[in-house]
Amino acid sequence: MVHVEDPRGRWSVSASEVIRILAAAEWTAPAIDVLAALGALPRARNRRVLVLRGARNGEVALVAGGALAVAEVDPEDVLPLPSVLAAATPQVSAIVVASDASLSLLIEPSAVTCSSDTVVGEELCPSHS
Amino acid sequence: MRSFVPITIDSTWIAVDMATVREIGGPVTWIALPTASAVLPGVAAWRGRAVAVADLAAVLGAGERLTPPTGRMRTLYLQQGASTLAVPVDAVREPLTIADGDIRPPRARTESFCTGELDVEGHTTLVVDLGVILDGHRPAVASGLL
Repeated sequence: MVHVEDPRGRWSVSASEVIRILAAAEWTAPAIDVLAALGALPRARNRRVLVLRGARNGEVALVAGGALAVAEVDPEDVLPLPSVLAAATPQVSAIVVASDASLSLLIEPSAVTCSSDTVVGEELCPSHS
Repeated sequence: MRSFVPITIDSTWIAVDMATVREIGGPVTWIALPTASAVLPGVAAWRGRAVAVADLAAVLGAGERLTPPTGRMRTLYLQQGASTLAVPVDAVREPLTIADGDIRPPRARTESFCTGELDVEGHTTLVVDLGVILDGHRPAVASGLL
């Protein structure tokens, strides 16, 4: 699993869904800030873009506003969202519990959508599922 | 007769139906969800599953709102229908059993989730129905770009 240490909240994606990771400056297509509703994307020198397999075999690019880490995760530490929250938050499928009991949001790339064509470095496209 | 667990959020006293209380614990670690509401701002892990976190300060307009990753000093885990809620609170008092006749109609608050009032340790204490809160404050789906 790939973890992103975003100061607004750690989030993760399954490593099998990651097509490539590159510096934000090298990515000129739209990129989505999945935590946009939690505040502005933090300024980070090493901002990166994760290109993932999205819906219908398309690609979805998520901007990572924090350090990346790759780690194995025990399936028992992946807890699906409760139904009272899941319907309103389809882009988050579960939480991941780390060994220190800290939490991460597991992003479901196929549920991340963006309708505007904004470019990393100019304006980022917030997630709006 | 009904049993309640009195709790406090800031200086507000609240009585929660004892039958809904599954566990009382210490501070909860939680994480905010991007499309959550102020009342259900995020999620926590409890007994091997994810549960919604409810912020009674947002419901009541009393005290500071929760900020991740930690909650308040104590956490009530409440069963409300099929849903379990983690409710961070400042303090939990001794459970008490009250005769139905000792529960007054609510006067301090008129919201539908306030079903009555009673006196606990000299404090007017709101009897709240968390089911009403849950039904009325499910997270809104974000519409359009934020």
